[in-house]
Amino acid sequence: MNKDIKNYACPYCGEKCRSADELKEHVFQAHKGRGLPAPEGSIKLTVNKAEYVIRVAPNWTLYYLIHDKLGLTGTKQFCDQGACGSCTMIVDGKPVLSCMLLAIECGGKVIETVEGIAADGHPLIEAYVNNHAMQCGYCTPGFVVTSKALLDRHPDPTEEEIVEALAGNLCRCSTYPQHPIAVREAAGKMKAAKK
Amino acid sequence: MKEFKHFNAYSIEEAVSLLGRYGERACIIAGGTDLLGKMKDAILPAYPEALVNIKTIPGLSYIKEDGGMLKIGALTVLSEIAHSEVVRSHWPALAQAACRTASPHIRDMGTIAGNLCQDIRCWYYRNQNNRFSCLRKKGGRCYAIKGDNRYHSIFGGSVSGGCLAVHPSDTAPALIALDAKIKTSGRTLDARDFFEVKPVKTTVLKADEIVTEIQVPEPAAGTTSAFLKFALRKSIDFPIVNCAAMITLKGDRVAAARICLNAVSVVPYRAAAAEQVVMGKSLDEAVAEEAGKAAVSEAKPLEHNKYMVAIARTLVKRSILACVGR
Repeated sequence: MNKDIKNYACPYCGEKCRSADELKEHVFQAHKGRGLPAPEGSIKLTVNKAEYVIRVAPNWTLYYLIHDKLGLTGTKQFCDQGACGSCTMIVDGKPVLSCMLLAIECGGKVIETVEGIAADGHPLIEAYVNNHAMQCGYCTPGFVVTSKALLDRHPDPTEEEIVEALAGNLCRCSTYPQHPIAVREAAGKMKAAKK
Repeated sequence: MKEFKHFNAYSIEEAVSLLGRYGERACIIAGGTDLLGKMKDAILPAYPEALVNIKTIPGLSYIKEDGGMLKIGALTVLSEIAHSEVVRSHWPALAQAACRTASPHIRDMGTIAGNLCQDIRCWYYRNQNNRFSCLRKKGGRCYAIKGDNRYHSIFGGSVSGGCLAVHPSDTAPALIALDAKIKTSGRTLDARDFFEVKPVKTTVLKADEIVTEIQVPEPAAGTTSAFLKFALRKSIDFPIVNCAAMITLKGDRVAAARICLNAVSVVPYRAAAAEQVVMGKSLDEAVAEEAGKAAVSEAKPLEHNKYMVAIARTLVKRSILACVGR
């Protein structure tokens, strides 16, 4: 009898039903209009324009998936508490903290990391080098990714807007004054390239 | 992080049924910026067996005006509220509060409901690997009473014996000052009745109840509101004290006032004494000063947090003056 109960576990949420009819009723009521259940724990996501279908464990963060499993080691993790901004990635156009996002919740998302920004030859990279907007360089990928997301939204940001957008990134070498200069330079180059 | 089960809920009913099945052993995850930090540090004696992701529920992220009333979906992220023209023009205290919360990244991830339901930041409670088994974890005592209590309550404690951890939300005082209502999957509550101090709990929500909508009534004619926050850093910081005020003027006299402080007590602290002071008066520096003094008249600061009384007094004064543009 117990074995039978197992057979009627809901494929969406695992709820155990006693009969096929009850399972049908449960699926219809709780998961109506939801399509077929995906294979357990697999997600499809786009990282730097490449598509991946990966099986992930629920306790993997997006950072762990991309840095440790996909091997894109440009993104750095520092605080692992969502306080420093060094692990920033662009997810669906927004700069978010990849240490505070579960990989399993990123199905269907378009993700951009610092590698993708460099591969595109974004003027930010050169501007950061020209203006020495780094010392030890550990926080730099986080800053570059956050700045890229800002430039996507505001192609010509003012200094205040840049400072506001970068307010979530910490740099213990205190290179802060250089960042608005570098971002303004990149914005200028992008403007010139458009003309 | 340890292992756990992960469910995506696709409707409110599905989330409620999943939470009902797991009870206290499951947690809701939306923005995740508070919950994942707690789980990584394993601060609680019990680890959640399952997470119920509610980000997958469609149609819970919106800001709309409905007959003058502002309705905000539970999954609306703070940056959207901070940048919304509607909120900024009619309910400035809420927009300012959302704008001063945490950092830009976290405002893009964290939801309004999550900001209300977030857990306390007491450094004994949050210490890694459940190092201090305090009252809020059904343990023996509050370690802040004899320990370092520089960021703890100045209005006494709660949970029999006295947990002194303050409520850290920035949007909570704004919503209480604006007389908001919080709609959950089962009922509609006044924002001021939403908070409760119990072990491993900061709200009155049942284990299988989720917040679905925030409703802020239309401000009466002549109403202005303001929010001020004092924190050690401009960004990525929790408040030492914050204060929201809503003032309705008739002519130059105050016809209604609601002032709420937070991070000073175990739940958001409505400064009723300060409201009494300003009622019926025309607002100037002296009246605001007096209101500030009245707001902290019942303060019982601890050994290390007397400075918070002065900050609370000043913030009440300044937020009242900010309402009248001074």
